Amino acid sequence: MKDKAAIVGIGQTQRYRRGQSLPRSMMDMAMEATLSALADAGLTTNDLDGFAFYGGATVDPGSMAYNLGVPHVKFAATLTAGGSGSAGSVGMAAAVINAGLANVCVSLFVLQQVPTGRFGGSSEGPRKVPTASGGGAYGGGGNVSPEAAFISPASIMSPGHNFSMLTQRHMYQYGTKREHFAEVCISQRENAIKRPQSLRKDPLTLDDYFAARMISDPLCLFDYTMECDGAIAVITTSIDRAKTLPHTPVLISGSGIGGTGNNAHLLGNFQMPDVSFASAGARDVAKQMYEMAEVGPEDVDVALLYDHFSPMVLMQLEDFQLCPIGESGPFVAEGNIRFGTGSIPVNTHGGNLSDFYCPGMTHLVEGVEQLRGTAINQVEGAEIALCTGGPSSIPMTGTILKRYR
Amino acid sequence: MSNTTHPFKYMPAPLFTDPYADEWTAPFWEAALRGQLTAPKCAECGTFRLPPSRWCAACHAQGLEYVDLPGTGTLYSFIIVRHALTPDQKEYVPYIPAVVSADGVSGNARFVANLVNVEPEDVQIGMKLKVTWNEVSATLTLPFWTVA
Repeated sequence: MKDKAAIVGIGQTQRYRRGQSLPRSMMDMAMEATLSALADAGLTTNDLDGFAFYGGATVDPGSMAYNLGVPHVKFAATLTAGGSGSAGSVGMAAAVINAGLANVCVSLFVLQQVPTGRFGGSSEGPRKVPTASGGGAYGGGGNVSPEAAFISPASIMSPGHNFSMLTQRHMYQYGTKREHFAEVCISQRENAIKRPQSLRKDPLTLDDYFAARMISDPLCLFDYTMECDGAIAVITTSIDRAKTLPHTPVLISGSGIGGTGNNAHLLGNFQMPDVSFASAGARDVAKQMYEMAEVGPEDVDVALLYDHFSPMVLMQLEDFQLCPIGESGPFVAEGNIRFGTGSIPVNTHGGNLSDFYCPGMTHLVEGVEQLRGTAINQVEGAEIALCTGGPSSIPMTGTILKRYR
Repeated sequence: MSNTTHPFKYMPAPLFTDPYADEWTAPFWEAALRGQLTAPKCAECGTFRLPPSRWCAACHAQGLEYVDLPGTGTLYSFIIVRHALTPDQKEYVPYIPAVVSADGVSGNARFVANLVNVEPEDVQIGMKLKVTWNEVSATLTLPFWTVA
């Protein structure tokens, strides 16, 4: 499927801070983003015949098709797991198009974090524990499995707790420091400050970082993504069709949608092998993706690495071979991920941390804009972009995007 | 906080009063009532399976065999939860979830439980630990870890 399909349209709603999108509905926002992406692509709902979603997607393809009035749905599926599927959703679309199942696919995410329906509370799996307050966003009473009694009493309740555990081990194994996490946060903030649409644009200094309250030590407030409401959609079609459309096609060169069986991080069991405990669980995915795209990490011009938690950017730099395993801390300390001056600019849009959180979709949009040549923090001559999904459960995903020439 | 239901410093809010045991996990909780730490090995290939799984990922056998452990171990990783995520936890932060490599257990099998009676600032990966028990109910005695 290498270079057989391309992203041809991007669309998004207004960006809302967490919980501020009411009285809109999630379907309302998903519709707007999809129609906007189709318009950007020069296509209509009559052209749309595929739905390649991820992460539970919060709206289902069938309801979307109904509401959009799509005449004939030829493919509809949602990758399991969470934000880990963002980059892979367009890989799935490319595979589907290349296989002839569908011609024009939409991938999207919509988020609405109202008090009654918080996303990201990770209330599944062994952490599902009875609480004195009767469950809620983080717990949910009942459904306690016998296995859960071996994990849940420790009160590891959120993705932040899980990733802190990996981070602490990374610090121990490799000497990684909080200053290195700060560099991820500060460099991305610098990128966001230059973009009118980014939500977090206050200057962020090292002093600010160290003055922030600790949430789950070693992670502080700034190490966590912000939370938002809104929807973003992208449209993928065959390269032959893409050539007839308004924008420079952004080729899908390679994609990995999977993981290593014994590395199921977000299940929160912490039984991963020692060699990959402090990792993003993406090493096999990266290898598959690069092989399919027939490029290497040295060819990547801009890396858009899912940043739910800043240390996971470091671990992805390692897993996606942008620096050696264990050396991501010094690598970022040397300025390598800075836009304009670094050897491999990372999250030039500001990422989940400082731009906008729509689990991974902003990374895809930034990849498209970089390769169209229309990004605000444009990497000069960018030909190849790496987009990743959020390290978590399988499938973890990564996709290589390439400018069409 | 220290009382009969909350005897250790830095325990999180109690969430469980029963181990929800099944035939794969019951031997662990029965031994726990006696203050004996055990771990389950695959009855066929000997791979440790934590948490106790119904199928062995290595050989696909179902049977488990519990072995007694000395109750000591090494801290593999930990976090210090300083911000309570639920109202229940507000009076119990900070608490210290930990991953522990127990002596007598091979492979990647690790215990997940809380460190107690140790100041958060003093916790270091690699430190030697020992198990300690809290009797929660007639059916549940929970393992905690503290400095050996």
